[in-house]
Amino acid sequence: MRPVYLIAANFVREQRWPILLLLLCVLGLAAIGAFLNLQNSRDDVILLFKQLAVYGIAFSVFFGASAIHNERKSRRILAFLSKAITRRQYIAGLLSGIAFAATLYCFAMGMTGTWVLGQIGFQPGRLWFFMMALLAACLLGAAIAVFFSVLLNPLLATAATAVLVAIPFALAQLLGPSWGYTVPVYSLVQAFLTFSINQEPIIGWSVVLLGFAEAIIAWLAASWLFEWKDVAVAIE
Amino acid sequence: MPPVLEFEEVTKEYRSLFSGRVVRALDSFSLQVEAGEIFGFLGPNGAGKTTAIHLAMGFMRATSGRGRMLSRPFGDAKTRLRIGFLAENVALYHRPAARLIRFYGGLNNMAGPQLQQRTREVLESVNLSAESDRNVGKYSRGMLQRVGLAQALVNAPELLILDEPTSALDPIARVAVRELLLHLKASGTTVFLSSHMLSEVELVCDRIAVLHHGRIARIGHTSELLESRQNVQIVARGVASNMFPGAVANNGVVNFSITAADQRAVLERIWSLGGEVVSVNPVKRTLEEIFLEVTADATQGSGS
Repeated sequence: MRPVYLIAANFVREQRWPILLLLLCVLGLAAIGAFLNLQNSRDDVILLFKQLAVYGIAFSVFFGASAIHNERKSRRILAFLSKAITRRQYIAGLLSGIAFAATLYCFAMGMTGTWVLGQIGFQPGRLWFFMMALLAACLLGAAIAVFFSVLLNPLLATAATAVLVAIPFALAQLLGPSWGYTVPVYSLVQAFLTFSINQEPIIGWSVVLLGFAEAIIAWLAASWLFEWKDVAVAIE
Repeated sequence: MPPVLEFEEVTKEYRSLFSGRVVRALDSFSLQVEAGEIFGFLGPNGAGKTTAIHLAMGFMRATSGRGRMLSRPFGDAKTRLRIGFLAENVALYHRPAARLIRFYGGLNNMAGPQLQQRTREVLESVNLSAESDRNVGKYSRGMLQRVGLAQALVNAPELLILDEPTSALDPIARVAVRELLLHLKASGTTVFLSSHMLSEVELVCDRIAVLHHGRIARIGHTSELLESRQNVQIVARGVASNMFPGAVANNGVVNFSITAADQRAVLERIWSLGGEVVSVNPVKRTLEEIFLEVTADATQGSGS
């Protein structure tokens, strides 16, 4: 476990500026809560909150799609993989780092949301459910992006992730809503984007748990694929 | 005792995804490195040296063939607990050297006072104790290479694999690394050294292999390789230098080289002329000469 922790901590350290930027965005929302009359701009605040959620998912996918590529490009991955760690541990470390960043972000959003949205009558319990849904979407998106990044460059990995996430959306439109849960990033995001003060969430805990479970499956699949991947191209 | 590092008929091909072009980096490559030796691994650029090392480290998989490191198949994570590796063009995270070494030690499941102690030792062994709190981002390339060497040594490896470890070092640091390698050998560590610094290899390696077009073109003990069986150097007294082609007279002796096949006839000629043979020695060649001889076709090829 110690190598996984070290890889995760190293990832967070290396990505500290984007993470800080995300947290500053949340801080901006808190500032709005402090200085604006929220009763007059409820819809705007909720829109901002949803926007921040999308940022979180986008950054998670970006982190996942670029993590291996950056390490390979800089050749730092060689020093990692020359130590007594397995490829699975390496991927687990990267995903744990992303999970830590995403958890920190969702927690910050949850705390800010509890205060800001609480002022306009949003129930904290429901808000934290959405935060868990957001976290599940971030982790699943990141794990899928890591899977594709084993084979593709960050841009293509991001595009492939977007396509895979969009397929359930298309299926849900064509065949029925339950198809949207096959890879539930879309369902989790949709739940977040459609929430309002008086409306119940359109998904339940089962979809959130499915998101977490599929993130684990994507991690295992990425690890398996990475086992077979040549990580160092001869520089000669 | 089984070999520490062993390649058995290993072939590695790189295939271009789009053009389908296949480049064979290693071609039925076989090699055995014995315990306790410093093994020099030479070859021109593109010969397949780094590919062979990366296969051994498990960074990539062979197209065919197999290999073992410390009696375990290539790529076994637990085996790497006993391996030290320094990559060519070392790339490290920007943080203080001591912290960086502890980080890499941690990846090998080292922790606590043992790791602290070992970090101090390895930084001292590469002469970086005074700079251990400085961020490696501010280091020179030579210092970075020494930190890279320190991270490879942190787990006190049984087998140390070094890919161009002295390429960025100044002469003083190079001597220090050479002494370090000899010290490691004395303490039982096997060193697999890939380098273009032929003079370094000549000085420290027990055995040498020259890789060319993905195959071993020459292999042997350094002393045997450097000793020419084809030519001998003769020093004689009491004969005129113009009696022997290429002979040079100096301080009353003449000095010249002949082929080993002519040795007997030439010695008899010296004696028949009333001369005296002072010495007969095999001609020592440099590793550079051997390298150029082995890779001659590559040199010609690149020139055409």
